[in-house]
Amino acid sequence: MDLATSLWLVSPEILLSLGSMILLLMSAWGGEKSARLITILAAATLFAAALLLMAIAHMPDFKDGAVAFDGLYIADNFGSAAKFLIYLAAIISLMVAPRFFKAGGLYRPEYPVLILFAAIGMGIMVSATDMLTLYIGLELNSLSAYVLASFIRTDVRSSEAGLKYFVLGALASGMLLFGISLVYGFSGSTSFAVIGETLTGDLATGPLIGVVLVLSGLAFKISAVPFHMWTPDVYEGAPTPVTAFFASAPKVAAIAMTARVIIEAFGGQTAAWQQIIVFVALASIVLGAVAAIGQQNIKRLLAYSSINNVGFLLIGLAAGTEQGVSAMMFYLAVYVAMTLGAFICVLEMRDSEGQPLESLESLAGLSQTRPGLAAAFAVFMFSLAGIPPLFGFWGKFLVFDAAVAAGMLPLAVIGIAASVIGAFYYIKIVKIIYFDEPSGQIVKTGHKTENGLIAVLALFVSPLGYLAIPSIAPIADAAAAALF
Amino acid sequence: MVDLSEYAPILLFLFVAAGLSAAFVFLPMGVSRLTGTHNPSAEKLSEYECGFPAFEDSRSQFDVRFYLVAILFIIFDLEAAFLFPWAVSLDQTAWLGWGSMMVFLFILTVGFIYEWKMGALEWE
Repeated sequence: MDLATSLWLVSPEILLSLGSMILLLMSAWGGEKSARLITILAAATLFAAALLLMAIAHMPDFKDGAVAFDGLYIADNFGSAAKFLIYLAAIISLMVAPRFFKAGGLYRPEYPVLILFAAIGMGIMVSATDMLTLYIGLELNSLSAYVLASFIRTDVRSSEAGLKYFVLGALASGMLLFGISLVYGFSGSTSFAVIGETLTGDLATGPLIGVVLVLSGLAFKISAVPFHMWTPDVYEGAPTPVTAFFASAPKVAAIAMTARVIIEAFGGQTAAWQQIIVFVALASIVLGAVAAIGQQNIKRLLAYSSINNVGFLLIGLAAGTEQGVSAMMFYLAVYVAMTLGAFICVLEMRDSEGQPLESLESLAGLSQTRPGLAAAFAVFMFSLAGIPPLFGFWGKFLVFDAAVAAGMLPLAVIGIAASVIGAFYYIKIVKIIYFDEPSGQIVKTGHKTENGLIAVLALFVSPLGYLAIPSIAPIADAAAAALF
Repeated sequence: MVDLSEYAPILLFLFVAAGLSAAFVFLPMGVSRLTGTHNPSAEKLSEYECGFPAFEDSRSQFDVRFYLVAILFIIFDLEAAFLFPWAVSLDQTAWLGWGSMMVFLFILTVGFIYEWKMGALEWE
């Protein structure tokens, strides 16, 4: 493998790196006036990176993936599919940001640059085939995320969110690194392939602790129970476009990265990781469902909803089969659409002075003042609850189907039972919107970009989304096939 | 079974080091008391030059610019720490190693230009 091929395989990341550095310098000279231009250019860079991704995926003999830099990085269908979702989610969180920040007069050109940095990190995370590459990508993403969380630095809640995220994130990185060092010590390599070949048969205590610590660090990054405690605070405190970003792109990256580590590096130790993933999945589903019931803040509620959904995603992974990973990738695509749609709806919750509203009471009777937004909200909530015929149901159906096919009937049964509990609070929001006395707090905003995005995402998760199955399912299957 | 006697030299070294460093601390103190130069005054005991008061409420106001300087220092300190092993192994890593380091330095320079332009290096 010569250098030119390696560079070609990482060209999406190279393009994003060059683009973000140029934009960083432009932001230094252009100042706050250039924020809008830089946002558009950043979105264009992400779009160009997605095109490069497709060009690479259409190379001949790409089917089994192409290894770059002597096995530190791989470009394959799994990574490409995840990256495509990541770039898409990043572009959407760029599109909705300027107007949100403008209300407070705080929009700065560093926002799109940080999103680009995070996107580079996430791209490296999902393509890493070595623990060290993985860690570099993870930290690049996390460090950008810490700054993004505290982007409104005059706001106490935003600064607090950033600080909390940083301290707990550093702790998780420490656990992950300790785990990596133990796994390295017992297997003699940081490469996933070599770890997978070495850690077979009965697992001794040392490497077992390493595996457990690595999984704990990863569980923190995907905000799975019992490492979820930062999620509600960070999601509530961070500016809403940043929360929408956190709930979509980094989640895709972290889940995909976890899947690759588990299947490729710990693939010989199914008994060890499967117990952990099953526990984490069930705990996330149950806690995400129960803890959300009492929430009065919509962003906090959606944070628990995302914990809940991570549990469903992990059920597909827990199956440990190709079908399971394919179902997980499919559900990820639907999840990103649902969660971005729900957060853009939250962005539209503004009072007559343009101040953002976050309480559930302010939603009361929304159907009478803004029927369109109310209908979209209802579609996203029903879809997140997994009620047929909405598209969220199909995603859930696929992961449960995979779990049953892998002989994990009890897991599927408990998961389905807990999703009924979760349906309660989703439907409660619909009830508040449609049947409560109008509070009239939320006024019409007439934001074309946001309304257009809501419409497109709502159509995607509506029953019309089923028409997209023939085009998404083969991608998910190809992605899963790349791991096995 | 690990043969602990292998570690005897390091144990001995630690004992010697602890003994010697304790002697360096306590001997001058003892000698100064015996020879009569021990004559503390408020002025002598107060901190001087760039020192902060040693005993006071730790929740004092602290200029945030110190953190900025500290972070910048760490970045460029690490850069130097990177450059040393790179320089001595350049005969093995050849042009690829040289190119990689230049990319790294380029990225660092972009960050440096940004912080300069944004006024992070100006104290006032």
